[in-house]
Parts: sequence; structure tokens; C-alpha cells
Amino acid sequence: MSMLRTVNIHKTYPVGPTEVNVLKGISLEVEQGEFLSVVGASGSGKSTLMHILGLLEQPTSGEYYFEDARIRYEDDRELSILRNRKIGFVFQQYCLLQRLTALDNVGIPLIYRGMGKPEIRERSMAYLQKVEVADRAHHRPNEMSGGQQQRVAIARAMVGNPALILADEPTGALDSRTGQEIMDLFRKLNEEEGITIIVITHDPKIAAQCRRSVEIIDGLVTPPADDGKPH
Amino acid sequence: MILKANISEAFTSLANARQRTILAIIGIVIGIGSVIGMVSIGSIAENEALKQFKDMGVDVVMVRLTKGSPSANVTLRDITALKEEEHSILDVAPYLRSSGSYSIGKKSIYLEQMGVTASFFGMNKIRLAEGRFISDLDENRYFCVVGMETAAFLRGIGLNPLLGSQIPLGNRIFTIVGVLDNVSDGGMRPYGLNSSVVMPITTAGRFFEKSDIDSFLALVGNTVSPVQAKTDIQNYFRVKSRELKVRVTTAEELIANMKKQMQIFSLLLGAIGSISLIVGGIGVMNVMLISVTERRMEIGLRRALGAQQGDIQSQFIMEALVLCLVGGVIGIVLGVIVSFIFARVSHWEFLISYGSIILGFGVAAAVGVFFGYYPARSAARLDPIKALRS
Repeated sequence: MSMLRTVNIHKTYPVGPTEVNVLKGISLEVEQGEFLSVVGASGSGKSTLMHILGLLEQPTSGEYYFEDARIRYEDDRELSILRNRKIGFVFQQYCLLQRLTALDNVGIPLIYRGMGKPEIRERSMAYLQKVEVADRAHHRPNEMSGGQQQRVAIARAMVGNPALILADEPTGALDSRTGQEIMDLFRKLNEEEGITIIVITHDPKIAAQCRRSVEIIDGLVTPPADDGKPH
Repeated sequence: MILKANISEAFTSLANARQRTILAIIGIVIGIGSVIGMVSIGSIAENEALKQFKDMGVDVVMVRLTKGSPSANVTLRDITALKEEEHSILDVAPYLRSSGSYSIGKKSIYLEQMGVTASFFGMNKIRLAEGRFISDLDENRYFCVVGMETAAFLRGIGLNPLLGSQIPLGNRIFTIVGVLDNVSDGGMRPYGLNSSVVMPITTAGRFFEKSDIDSFLALVGNTVSPVQAKTDIQNYFRVKSRELKVRVTTAEELIANMKKQMQIFSLLLGAIGSISLIVGGIGVMNVMLISVTERRMEIGLRRALGAQQGDIQSQFIMEALVLCLVGGVIGIVLGVIVSFIFARVSHWEFLISYGSIILGFGVAAAVGVFFGYYPARSAARLDPIKALRS
């Protein structure tokens, strides 16, 4: 079954009086349960693609189907609910709130589902255990190592039991050994939980660990969607 | 649930930016404090003014007589006869007043001087500290009763005991027969009884430069309406002399007038307080705008994790609201303390106006929502991507 599918997506940004074409017709299909990497040099438009896939940004033209339903961009509420229930984000800089404990950081997505505090805490703790940082539950981000922080961020991405995890350079701020641990964790989650994971990276070594890899060159996907079936 | 999470979120984030929070709260404390302080002082003053009427009762009317021509004349006898001829009037208390500075011993004192009849004391509900009041048997004699402050002054220059002592006023010697207890000003009472020297009206008629009786108090029977009494008094004097203008003021009229004035007074005080509240509110808005700018990443993140625009907006409004309500509570306490000190210093009865406390909470909440709205809305409308990149 299709996780997501984009048809001829363009994205242009106005720069002064002219426009810059970042994405020039991306057609990409991702099946459920895939572990995919999107590789590209900096400035290739891979982050923009991730934002579009993550419903944080609207393409200038083209169509986007998420679980076979076409995304309508007029309704912020609907997009927010989809992000909340279906998508988990992992960022290069972890993006944890410094004033909250690891446990409370993990629970943020559940707040927006209107869940009660005891239930949020219970679920957050379960996911901290899953990513093996339960012992840091009551520490704040600045009391943790980079690897631990990224694990907390992954727990936060997973706590809402999403269908898709989008990770933007998840190992970019980590040393190679810790980065490897994070990649191992992703693989484990993909294999054991069946979550679709898309890792955006500029590092071919990271990309090689994913089961499928596409590259963005000059705003276009290589290989094109037709050839990019999972193998 | 989201609301509850937003409230607790507001507390942690405010506690986190402690310095800024304290500054914003101070602004609101001063604003709410001055509104509450001013309104409380207003109601304390109003209560004080009305208290005199409660003391004296509302069955007393004040009559002022103005001569239309020099030939118009009204005698003491005309006034005292009022209670016999008009059955709606139970008693009358005509008085004369004057004032001046006198040297007694080696010091000088400014005295309110009053010439009264015996009925004056009862009608004004005045109590004695010692001795006796002026009696109608004291006619034309140089006896006097002194007010509390006058008595203190005389004791200060060595007159002790006061009763029976003689004091020189102008070219006359007066004998003190009584000392008044503390008399608060206001209501129908003539002003300045505490610093007065009170003598028989007949004595005053000869001793004062101006000896025309131009005002008196009248006690209205409790079966008669003050309005009826007013007509009776006016009719009575129209017969005595056509040239006389008679103005009768009932307690109700005075109270109504006073309430109107107090309302304007309270409004004015409230307006002054509101200015500082607006300044405080702008301070909150400023702090909230800074907070939004500093937390762009957080806003972007929350949006990515599924917060709707409304969730972000309510989070920041809640933060402004918490800020203002905390400031409001402290401000209310401060305002009440200020009005308490004010009441103490001016020897007025302190009272807590519950209306003003509710007003304080309401205003604090309104300020929070009003000045929090714009920053909250700009937070909600941030582009999640731009916010995340910062």
C-alpha cells in the first residue's frame, strides 16, 4: 500500500524580483514499511522536499497524496491533525525544549490530542524505554549527551504511533559512532514496528544503510519514480 | 485538556524567564494596584461622607435665608416660632457663625465661632467630653463651649481645669462651661466644630460683626415627608417677608448630590489608575512579543508536532493571562493596603470594597487577553518552517 506519492511537485521561492526554482517536478512514491534515504548536496532542495512531505510547506504546484488521500492545503486544522497523528519528525539539532524534562518533551505531541497528563506520562515513559534512555527521563536536555538527546527526539517522533517518520540529517550533529547507533535504532524500529522511515542526508555512508536510496540533483529525483520501486 | 496543558505550560515558561516575568508583573501590579487603591479610596471617602447622614438621620433639613433687599428682615423669634406654627416641624436650630484669629496667653489661634441655641447640640448629635452644653438660660451671657482641638490648644497653654476657666476673645472674657467630644465634619453639620468656640446665639448677635441669622436646621416630624416640610417652610417665610429667598435642602438632596460628586471623583481616580494600567499592559505586550521572538523555534516545533494555530494562540494568551492575573492579585493586595494606610492617616473608617476587587480581577484578565492577543496571534501565524529554522 502506498504511504505517500507526489506528482510533479514544483517549489519556487521569490528572491527579490526573480524566483528560484528549488524543486522542479518531483515525482516520488513511497510504500508503507519502507526505509528510504533521500540524498543530496546542500542546496539541492532535499530539506524543502522533507518540509513538503511533512506537510509543513505547500508546494507551488503538483499533487501530494498521503495514504492515497490528496492533501488539501487550505485547511490548517486538517494538516495539523495529520502531522500530529501520522507523522513524526526528527531534526538534526534535536529541537528539544530546554526548560522541559526528557519525559515532558516526549509528551508534547500527545498534548495536542487532548490526552490527560497521567496517560501522556505513561506513554512517554514507555517510548523512552524503547529508545533506551528511560534513566534520563527526568533530566533536561542540557544534562544529556547529543546521542541521548537524539534518542529522546526519536521517542518524541514515535510517541504518537505515526505511520511515517521523517528524519532530517538525524546524525549530522553526532560523532560517527553515535550516529551509527541512531541509524541502528531506526533500522530496528523499521523492522520491528513496521514504521515507514525517510532519512534525509548528504552522507552516502548513511544513505547506504537504508534499504532504498534516491538522490536529489538540481531539483529532480534520481532515479525517477518509475525505476525506484523497492527491492 | 489542551487548555490545562497550556496553563501549566504558561507557568513553567514564565518561571523560566524569571527576570522578564518579574518586570512585566511589576507593571501590572502598579496598574491594578493604583486602580484598586484609587477606587477603594473613593468608596472610603464616600462612606465617610454618608456616615454623617447616618449619624444625624435624614429627618433634618437645612434652610438658608437670603435677603432680597435690605428691608427684608427675619428675627430669631420668627425662626423659633416655626416649630409652633408649622406642625410638620418638630424643632429648629438657628445658628450664627463667624471666625477669626485670637491671641490667648502668648499664642494665637484661629477659631470658628458659632452662636447657637440649646437645640443645636441634639439636632447635630454632638456629644460632650465634659461640662455642659449651652442652655437657653444662658441668653446674652458670655459662656462658651469649646471644640476638641480648641480644648487641646487651651490645655497646651496651661489652662487646667478647663471648666470654669476664662478666656479673652477680642474685648470680652468668656467662661468655659463645656468641652465637646470629637465631631466629624460632613452632612448637615456646620464645618469646623472641633476647632470652634460655641456661645449662645443671643451673645453672638452682639459679639459678631454680622448678626443676621441666615441659616438654620429644622427637624422634620417622622410622619411628614421632607418635601412636605420644604413647602411648609417656604410658605411660612413667604408670609413673613416677600423679599426673603428661602432655600431648603433635604438630606436626600444632599446625599444625591454627594453621590453624584463621588461618582465623578471615583471615575476620575479610576481613570488616573487606568493610565498606569495601560502602561502596564503595554509592558506585558512587550514582554510577550519578546517571548514570541525568542521562542520561534519552539513555536515551529510545536506546529510540526501537531499544534493548530489556535493551540499556539491560546498558549500565548494563557501566558499573558497568567502574567496579568498574578500581577492582579498582588496589585489588589497592594491597592487595599494603600487604601488602608490612607484611611488610617485621615482617621476614616477603612472598608474593603468587594466590587473593586472583582473589578480588579476582571480588569487584569481583560488586560491579559487584550494585550496578549496581538503577540499570540503573531505567534500562531508564524510560518512553521521559518520558525523552525531560527
